[in-house]
Parts: sequence; structure tokens; C-alpha cells
Amino acid sequence: MTHLTQELDRLNMKVMQMVVQTEQALSKTVNAFSRMDADLAQEVVDHDKEINELEVLIDQLCLRLLALEQPVARDLRFILGAMRLSNDLERIGDESANISDATIFLSLPPPLEFYDQIQIMGQKAYDMLQEAIIAFSSPDTERAVNVCRMDFEVDEINSKVIKLSIEHMSQDSKTIEQCVQSINIARRLERVADLATNIAETTMFIVQGTSIKHSCQFDDRV
Amino acid sequence: MKQEQVLSNNLMAAGVVQDMVPQNKISLDKEHCCLEVKDLDLFYGSNQALKSINMKVPVKRATAFIGPSGCGKSTLLRCFNRLNDLIDVCRVQGEIKLDGENIYDPKVDVAELRRRVGMVFQKPNPFPKSIFDNIAFGLRLKGIRNKKHLNEVVEKSLKGAALWEEVKDRLYESALGLSGGQQQRLVIARAIAIEPDVILLDEPCSALDPISTSKIEELIHQLKERYTIVIVTHNMQQAARVSDFTAYMYLGELIEYRDTITMFTNPKEKTTEEYITGRFG
Repeated sequence: MTHLTQELDRLNMKVMQMVVQTEQALSKTVNAFSRMDADLAQEVVDHDKEINELEVLIDQLCLRLLALEQPVARDLRFILGAMRLSNDLERIGDESANISDATIFLSLPPPLEFYDQIQIMGQKAYDMLQEAIIAFSSPDTERAVNVCRMDFEVDEINSKVIKLSIEHMSQDSKTIEQCVQSINIARRLERVADLATNIAETTMFIVQGTSIKHSCQFDDRV
Repeated sequence: MKQEQVLSNNLMAAGVVQDMVPQNKISLDKEHCCLEVKDLDLFYGSNQALKSINMKVPVKRATAFIGPSGCGKSTLLRCFNRLNDLIDVCRVQGEIKLDGENIYDPKVDVAELRRRVGMVFQKPNPFPKSIFDNIAFGLRLKGIRNKKHLNEVVEKSLKGAALWEEVKDRLYESALGLSGGQQQRLVIARAIAIEPDVILLDEPCSALDPISTSKIEELIHQLKERYTIVIVTHNMQQAARVSDFTAYMYLGELIEYRDTITMFTNPKEKTTEEYITGRFG
């Protein structure tokens, strides 16, 4: 095993560590919202800094590999991909922490009837992340493309939640803050779904050196 | 075909997947080529060193040959100006056409061929003469004696080899007093003085320090605007930096030959990938 291979293995290990932590953070976030569990939500907020630390570490590893090893071909694509991945995973970690923050607020008053839509949206965003992670770790390019297909459903529910929240606000002004927080959560989940598609795109880039960026709008052509 | 390749092709056809290589990438198919190798086999005695090589070398581009030691890249380079003729046991089959004419045709004037296809070797080999005489050597051999003309060509060649500023005040001093990097540029100046079409560079920087290497690499970028460059190098980063096209050879065979950007970001052959990523060779 060459020195470069060892370093790439180390980088891969750190990326997988970050993948696992981010997946857990989102899983807890979705569960915390579904059960309106403030303690679980607080756990997500508290652990976000661990994901942030991994991002910095992965950046440092990538920088060192690029500067000292002058990688090419798949090695180069993997390193560039790892940088993108860590960035996207860190954003998912941040979004999870922000959603959990909002969940802590929402756990106090009685739940609104359209929360079930947010739960479905959360589950779909989580499914997308899980699919993207499997696509990356396998690697499986077909699953990567599948992640892009799933993004539409999340977008649709997001629009639905915004519409329902506005309707609710106009009917009951006492729930305005809850509705605003609900819209906030829905938008963040929509962002998580987008970031999951980024991970799928990065997988395609690493495996094949091709780009499917910004292609989800052409989903029916896949 | 692998499943992922099939998927990629389908996506490419659908316009969903984009090739990551920049849009302005160059392609061998679109290039005007001056050298064309057809079914070339080369034997050293009973040992076959080149096996059925087929390739075209584009005009005014830098083409790099890479591959592990003994893969045949220098042997192939030496075929382009028939330097292998000097080896008794060497036998060549097939064709190499320079501007449409087979250079292995018995009627070809080898001296004229070597004027058109100049060569620079690993170790700088200036003649034990003055800087001026080194550059003027080829011209004098052609019978050119006109001092004004010689002065002009010497200056132009030294400028072309990015050496003029460093030696203009000591043109009549011995070339052997120059540094290794300067000597290598002097040899390049000597090669371009006789206005070749093609310049072959056989590991031109392997005996040079990093600063001199950088100057030669910069020079290659300038030279390819006027000449066709073919370079053999063990340094893959150098191939990536200076060449437009890269050929990977292994055990006498041409394994992969394509534009350098694709070669170093997304090679199509597994053995190429293994070699350039250092997992083999």
C-alpha cells in the first residue's frame, strides 16, 4: 500500500465518520420533531460542533494531499469530492441543529394539525440522505440518480406546508409564531434534501468524472 | 460494459450528465497531424520493443509519452527521426509518415529528415565550441557562411530558447561554461536554428534542477506555438503541465492516447489509472 493510498484511506475514514454523525443528527432531528421531544432536539444542537470539527479536519487532510501528493484521476476526484461532501454534510448538520432549535420551541404549545406533513417531509429528506450515503459508500451511481428523483416530492410537500401555515395564520393569529417556525423547518428540510442531491452528484463525479449538477429539473429524461 | 458505464452513457445521451472536462477541450479527431504511425513494430534482435503502434501526432501541439521504464516510449521517439537506424540489431516494420511521406522509405534522405525532426536528449550535449558556433553549426553544415545571416539566426534562436538575455554578452565563450539548464536551452536553440518541423525531447529535464526545469517547461509552452513537440518524460506532473496530448505506453504497446486533461482527470483505461495514480509501475 502506497503512502498516498494510506492517506486516502484515512480521508475516506474521516468522511465516513462525518457521514455517520450527520445521518444520526438528521435522524434524531426528524424523530425529535415527530415526538416533540425537546431533550432529543437539544442533543442534536449540542453535538453539532463535532460535525463542524470533522469538516475542518477533512479540509486540512484534503489541502495536504493536494499540496504534497499531486493526485490525479480518481484520487483527485475523490479528494475534491471529499471537500464538497464535508461542506454539504456540515450544512446538513447546521440545518439539523436549527430545526432542532425550532422543535424545542414548538414542543411547548399544542401541536398544529399540519405537523404530520412536516413529519412526512422530514422522513423523506432523511430517506434521501440515507440513499445518498449508500450511493456514496457503495458506490452505486444508479442510487445516486435516484436521489435526484426523490427531491421533487420534498419540494411538493414544502409548498404544501407553506400554504397550510399561511392558511392557519390567517385563521388563528395566536399561532403565527408556530406557523412561522413551521415554515422555517419546512424550508430547512427542503434545503437538506437539496444537500442530499449534492452528495449524490458528488458520488457521480467521484465514480465517473461526470456531472449531473442542476439536472433534477430534467428528471423525466433520466 | 460495466453497469455504471451503461448508466453514464444513457445519462449522457439524455443530456443529464455532463462531461467534466472543460468545454474548450481539444480532441485528436479535430487536430491536423504531421506524424502518423501505422502498424509500427520494432525489434531489437528477437525482442519486440514496440507492438503494432498506431497514432497521430498533432501539429504545433505538445504530445507527451509516459509509461514505466522499458515500455518503449524513448524507442518510439527515436523512430520519428530514425535514430534507431544506428542500432545494428534494430529492425522496424510498418510506417511513420511525416506530412504524408513514409520516413522509412529507402529514398528518404535521413540527414534531411533529422533536420526536419530535431532532437534534444536527457543530458545536455553542447559541442566543445563557443555558444555562437554551437548555434551556427547546423547552418554552416548547410553551407551558409553569410555573417549577417548567421548573427540574425543565432540571436533569433537564442531568443526562441529563452537564453538570449543570459548569454548575449558572452556569445564567443565556451558553451561548456554554461549551467546545465542553460546548456539544455542552448541545445534547444541549436535545434531550432535549422528550423525543424518537429522537436523531440527525450527526458529533457531529468538532469536539471527545479528552476531550470521550470524554464524548460515554460519554453515548451512557447515552442509549441511554432513547432510540433513530442516529449518523453518520467515525470507525470511534467507531462500534465506541458502537454496537450498524452500517450501511455506499457510493454511496447500504446495503451491509451488522448487529450492530457482527460488523461489526468478521467482516464478510460484501468491500467492507465493505476499507473498515473502510482498503484503500479
